[in-house]
Amino acid sequence: MAGIGFELRKLLRHDDYFGLIRAYSYAGIIGAGPWVISILGVVLLGILSTNHVFPPNLVSQFETSVTYLIAGSLIFSGIWQLAFTRYVSDRLFAREHDLVLPNLNGLLVAAMGSGFVLSGTATLFLFEGTGALYRLLMSALFCLLTGVWVITVMLTGLKHYRAIISAFVVGYGVALSVGLLLRPFGLVGLLFAFFLGQFLLFVGLLAVIYRSYPSRQFLAFDFLKRGQMYASLLACGFFYNAGIWADKIVFWFTPQTSQAVIGPLRASAIYDLPIFLAYLSIIPGMAVFLMRVETDFVDYYDQFYDAVREGGSLSHIRNMRNGMVTSAKTGIFDIIKIQSLATIVAFVIGPAVLRFLGISLLYIPLFKIDVVGAGLQVVLMGILNIFFYLDRRARVVWLTVIFFGLNLVLSIISTHLGLYFYGFGFSISLLVSVLIGLVWLDKDMERVEYQTFMLQPWSH
Amino acid sequence: MSDNFPKAESADIVLLLEGTFPYISGGVSTWVNQLMRGMPEYRFAAVFLGSRPEDYGAVKYEFPENLVHLETHYLFSQTDMPPIETPRRNPGTSRCLHDIHASLRDPNTSSLPDRLRNIDFFFDPKNGIPQEEFLYGLDSWEYITEMYQTRCTDPSFVDYFWTVRNMHSPIWKLARIAKNLIPGRVYHSVSTGYAGTLGSLLHWHTKRPLILSEHGIYTKERRIDLFNATWVADRRSRLERDPSEISYLRELWIAFFESVGRMCYDASDTIISLFPEAQARQFDDGAKPERCSIIPNGVSIAPFAALHGQRQDDLSAPVLCLLGRVTPIKDIKTFIRSMRAVVNAIPKAVGWIVGPEEEDPDYVAECRSLVDSLDLNQHIQFMGFQRTTDILPQVHLLVLSSISEGLPLVLLEGFAAGVPAVCTDVGACRRLIFGEGDDTYGAAGDIAGIADPKALGVAAVALLRDPERWRNAQRAAIDRVERFYTDTLMFSRYRALYQQAHEASDLPIAPKT
Repeated sequence: MAGIGFELRKLLRHDDYFGLIRAYSYAGIIGAGPWVISILGVVLLGILSTNHVFPPNLVSQFETSVTYLIAGSLIFSGIWQLAFTRYVSDRLFAREHDLVLPNLNGLLVAAMGSGFVLSGTATLFLFEGTGALYRLLMSALFCLLTGVWVITVMLTGLKHYRAIISAFVVGYGVALSVGLLLRPFGLVGLLFAFFLGQFLLFVGLLAVIYRSYPSRQFLAFDFLKRGQMYASLLACGFFYNAGIWADKIVFWFTPQTSQAVIGPLRASAIYDLPIFLAYLSIIPGMAVFLMRVETDFVDYYDQFYDAVREGGSLSHIRNMRNGMVTSAKTGIFDIIKIQSLATIVAFVIGPAVLRFLGISLLYIPLFKIDVVGAGLQVVLMGILNIFFYLDRRARVVWLTVIFFGLNLVLSIISTHLGLYFYGFGFSISLLVSVLIGLVWLDKDMERVEYQTFMLQPWSH
Repeated sequence: MSDNFPKAESADIVLLLEGTFPYISGGVSTWVNQLMRGMPEYRFAAVFLGSRPEDYGAVKYEFPENLVHLETHYLFSQTDMPPIETPRRNPGTSRCLHDIHASLRDPNTSSLPDRLRNIDFFFDPKNGIPQEEFLYGLDSWEYITEMYQTRCTDPSFVDYFWTVRNMHSPIWKLARIAKNLIPGRVYHSVSTGYAGTLGSLLHWHTKRPLILSEHGIYTKERRIDLFNATWVADRRSRLERDPSEISYLRELWIAFFESVGRMCYDASDTIISLFPEAQARQFDDGAKPERCSIIPNGVSIAPFAALHGQRQDDLSAPVLCLLGRVTPIKDIKTFIRSMRAVVNAIPKAVGWIVGPEEEDPDYVAECRSLVDSLDLNQHIQFMGFQRTTDILPQVHLLVLSSISEGLPLVLLEGFAAGVPAVCTDVGACRRLIFGEGDDTYGAAGDIAGIADPKALGVAAVALLRDPERWRNAQRAAIDRVERFYTDTLMFSRYRALYQQAHEASDLPIAPKT
């Protein structure tokens, strides 16, 4: 008499379910770090060239071109960044190390190829009155930067922080020194130096992948197959990057706040400099964020899931949950504390710095509100990061959509309200997103075990 | 997957089958097939309950013409789960969960709690517990954690959680099946367990009669499964583990199957067993004596009687045969070990193991390596699934080494073909070998204890070396089966039962097609 009892033994496969939750898809959030370095490099190259190129407006043409390249390529590659990083970490979890390299190559072909078509078309039809070499360099740089971001985010996800920093330092070092040599060639010379630096950076990053994840296969497009990448991650990667740039783009294309610089590119003299300077103030917050989240929180996080998987008692699981909650809260409050401190310092020494750099003190109010906004952006990163760890992707999508939508709408409103409201769109959108994020985080943290057990996906 | 199966609007008798016909070949499946073919005047529907689609191969039987409707359902398949979403919280849910479990745990109640008898309980989010609530609900979560904290003695929460989930999930599937099933005038479940639970739900839902036929004792078999099961996690460390004490999670499963069994007895109007010992066990497990009766299995005599002429009963090179699935419950290893003793005494003896081998490949491999290590390669053959009518004329002795049996059909077929048997003392085997009451035909073989290869071997050798005794056993076997265990006898008893149930059923007679 058979019955189906004997087949029950095949049922207990709960290990699969929890396995995938730990994936490092938050990397793109920290990936915001390198673009701070990029902005700094470009601003530095610009400043050092100021009295050495003729006519002087070439410097602002160079800075604006590169800023657009960075913004455009970040938003464009944002679509892939998180989803692909998650795809890679899932492959690594499944011990399919040899699938990493061929699929990365596949992604680079797809992303850089489409990036080149996009930027090529744009430079061909929109950049009237600029030289052919300039157009060619612009499209080449756009697709190169796309590749750089994708690999950077992936390597951040895989925690190769040191390799990333070295590659960036080398890349921007070369760009800077070659740029100084090529100053006599004007805009094209500077862009070429930048191109050379990016190329080295790209090759350096790629070398890390080739070394760490060797494979017999060279090219694969498995990641494009149905169900291989999370649609939610495609969405939040895009909205996060678009959100970060929304206010800047609004100011670039509002006639009252901007000037034409080169071709179709416009810059906002009044808006751009304060906000880029303000981003310097997030460095301490980023450091604390990395430290806190990657040490205390991850420790408890690992212990929590180990307890779940390895058959810990419920009270042990709950203790680890509490540890996780406490460390997440401490982490976020530490970010807030250190950012408040950084903000105060920025408020105090800001005017002096602006005066030293020869920037008008009219920028001070905007600079202050931008410092507050930039600080909140770090907090938002922290919150998103924890949601990624908890695999609450829907929350991340909503938060990034809210951030993007608010930043766009409020920034447009602020351009109409006048000078004193500039920057408030950016900061208020972040403040609202952070508050919503904290409320959700509080709710989810209380229910971590419930969600881990009851709402885990069925493996089909 | 099931779309080319026959479909109908209604049926006279709905058979509820768990892990048997038409996907698994074996005693019960054969019996089901036989029953339908034996009663062409009834239109049958069959509901097959399986674990997961990938656990079953092709259909093993040609369908009888009066099988007008067949549907298959997989209780542990995870492909049709509701979307993962926290359901709206309902103030009554927590109370409801506590009440129901309190009444289920009460040792004095053997009946399905009243509110579970209404099938809407499993779908109505307001007054019942729908599957979404069980799977994703906050109240369910709280209840599970509360029970873990107050009752579970095994520390691993994840194992407790999955045990609870696996145990409960099929119930909603069964409720869905019961709700959507075509109307039938009589429900006939061929075991307790999940099929029996479906029967209970259908009985309470439709108010129509439920017949329960038990071939084995379901709860006992699950108990054996569970003791052998390595899949039930037992994470107690070596020091904590007391071999005499089974883990809490195993106990939970056993208690689950036992209470499901009691509720099925309570819902059944008629409870059939195959032989008096099995019936006594049903009484012990809570079946009401006035509802119980015995209908032994029967075989069609003619095809086997026709084989008598083919027999060459030369006992100097005897063939001993074990007919059955190669699974631990048949204890094939004991048969193999006993063959060592047989071959030592009768060097020309051979042993055949005839039966499907796909159910438990690990066990099959173990058996084969045991044959190797006992140096019996020349003497034991694994023959796979074969037609019994092809095999039996060449066999001199049937051996049954099972640790659990009901009333084995293969024994009856062997008897009908003139093959005596040596069996372990399980189920109705003793009764079949020695007879009882007004049956004075004498011994049709011999009996040995469970898992005692030596005794089994000795009994077989004694019989095979004594042609006089062997011939008497053959005569007794043929006479007994032709007198007490024919299919016509069995059909006439079931016919009477169906007739009686139909009269009690309120469903108007469907026009015959």
